[in-house]
Amino acid sequence: MTGPGIRTPLLGTSLLAWRNLSHDRARFIVTLIGVGFSVLLMGVELGLLVGFARTTSGLVDHSRADLWIAPAGTTNVDIAGRLDERRRFQALAVPGVATVGKLMLQFGFWKKPDGGNESVSLVGIELDSDKLQPWNLVEGRVADLQQQDAVIIDRLYADKLGVHAIGDTVEINSRRARIVGFTEGLRTFTQSPYVWMTHRNALVYPNYRPDQTTYLLVSLKPGADAGQVRRALRERLGRVDVWHRADFARQAQKYWLITTGAGSALLLSALLGLVVGIVIVGQTLYATTVDRLPEYATLRAIGAPAAYLNRVILKQAAISAAFGFGLGTLAVYVIVAITSYGNVAVIVPFWLVLVLAALTIFMCMFGALISIRRLVRIDPTSVFA
Amino acid sequence: MSTPLLRLEGVGVTYGSGATALAALVGISLEISAGEVTLLLGPSGSGKTTLLQVMGCLLRPGQGRVVLDGRPLETLGAEALAALRLAHVGFVFQHYNLFPTLRAWENVAVALDLKQVPRNRQNAQAMHLLDKLGMGDRASHFPAELSGGQKQRVAIARALAGSPNLILADEPTAALDGKTGQGVVATLHDLAHRENCAVVIVSHDPRVEPFADRVLHLEDGRLTDDRRAAGNQA
Ligand SMILES: Nc1ncnc2c1ncn2[C@@H]1O[C@H](COP(=O)(O)OP(=O)(O)OP(=O)(O)O)[C@@H](O)[C@H]1O
Ligand SMILES: [Mg+2]
Repeated sequence: MTGPGIRTPLLGTSLLAWRNLSHDRARFIVTLIGVGFSVLLMGVELGLLVGFARTTSGLVDHSRADLWIAPAGTTNVDIAGRLDERRRFQALAVPGVATVGKLMLQFGFWKKPDGGNESVSLVGIELDSDKLQPWNLVEGRVADLQQQDAVIIDRLYADKLGVHAIGDTVEINSRRARIVGFTEGLRTFTQSPYVWMTHRNALVYPNYRPDQTTYLLVSLKPGADAGQVRRALRERLGRVDVWHRADFARQAQKYWLITTGAGSALLLSALLGLVVGIVIVGQTLYATTVDRLPEYATLRAIGAPAAYLNRVILKQAAISAAFGFGLGTLAVYVIVAITSYGNVAVIVPFWLVLVLAALTIFMCMFGALISIRRLVRIDPTSVFA
Repeated sequence: MSTPLLRLEGVGVTYGSGATALAALVGISLEISAGEVTLLLGPSGSGKTTLLQVMGCLLRPGQGRVVLDGRPLETLGAEALAALRLAHVGFVFQHYNLFPTLRAWENVAVALDLKQVPRNRQNAQAMHLLDKLGMGDRASHFPAELSGGQKQRVAIARALAGSPNLILADEPTAALDGKTGQGVVATLHDLAHRENCAVVIVSHDPRVEPFADRVLHLEDGRLTDDRRAAGNQA
């Protein structure tokens, strides 16, 4: 027991709010689990959305090109037609263009060592250019791609592709290929894993003519105006699409998230999480408020303004939000840690944490509204009953 | 005699309407002054609590006017009435109405908080009030850990927070045994005289009468008797 002169750090509405909550521990725990669960649901769904979005535009985001020249009508980076190499020389002639690299991206058939086929995305890169290189390499070297038939794949898809170590051999489009390295965490939204190889090797598998490629990646001279160069390229080359890198990334995200319905499905689930949270918070806060109506009536009778009562409710909501958010965010990061080894990533950047915090505050304040509406009608004369 | 703190002129309160309408108060006119204890007597259902609610600005009467501290109430809205209660009135209830989750001193501190006493002074002032009512050594107890008389003392300490000039007590002794009840009323009597505030007590308890300066009788919502007490202990 504390001595008579003791101070509690909480006074006034904060004290009332905290005691109202902590007094009914079971209900408080239900509230926290409800808020936490709701944060978890929203966090995972929105994190999946971010993960998917980043997956769909990964190749573009990791390129060092200012502009992407794509076959006309290209809607996303994973699926595209062909360009003639003479386009490259046309592009180089446009003022403001510094360098133009080639990037091949085509689907292929991967025959596993023990039989069975998988669809893969062949990524042909120029080793002597930095426009696009496999990133997060955990085994082997990019330079090893120089060797005959050499390919690099991602660890996440090693099982799916039936290979385990450097030196394993497979067939792509009925031609031999050999693993020389592994990346980690390079996912594909199409579920056709990226298989990295040199542009020269890549020509062989899908039977491209030697003067064909999929994309041309353009770097600008210092000081060149990207918009102007883009317009000039379109005029000069005709019948191609020219994208700013960020726009192309956005386009790929839009294409996959909208056409597959994944985007709206995830947003809908996140919304569901929000609604669940509002219902649980509203319900438990209201139950607490109804339990304590005589006390609110007493407060009102002794002269508390309505705002004072509302402040107690809002602080209860805020406390529930804070603790529930902590709990939920913790759970979200557990999921993030677990999925970082799977082929679907839940990615929760700091801005998403802020979004979740804002949603939690909204959820709890919205949940508090029913309680506040009840207190508007409170009758202070009921204290004499 | 000073100007009255509270004046009622022809106050009438009717509950319900039409066939079920019930006149709880009819044509009540009276004045309450600082420094005295007024005892309100009357049979059950005679309108005592209703009258107390009118005096405490909790209920605006359908007829007549109420003037508290020079301010007529008839034009005030709910928030303004609350502000007036906060500034002038301290309530003591039959069932104490303490906040069960708050310690004794915290109960008093909430009332101080309402009256905008700065946070760093709330503890000291609450302790001072509890000391005054002989409850200093129980300040950290929760209401459930206190006896009825102790609870009522804490409730009085809370009512005194911010030094109101009108204290209204509805059957403050009803739940207490005779001796404890008498102690509580004696305390209220002391307050009226020492702090010069007006105290109105509703009670059925004959042991309260010796502490009253004035006794009002209500019957069927009408004031039937209003006399100065002869043998009060002041
Ligand atoms: N909220 C209300 N609605 C309708 N009628 C009411 C209400 N409050 C009181 N009354 C009626 O008004 C009359 C006076 O009630 P009041 O509570 O003032 O009496 P009282 O003198 O305090 O009685 P008691 O000694 O039993 O407490 C009673 O007939 C009661 O039934
Ligand atoms: Mg009564």
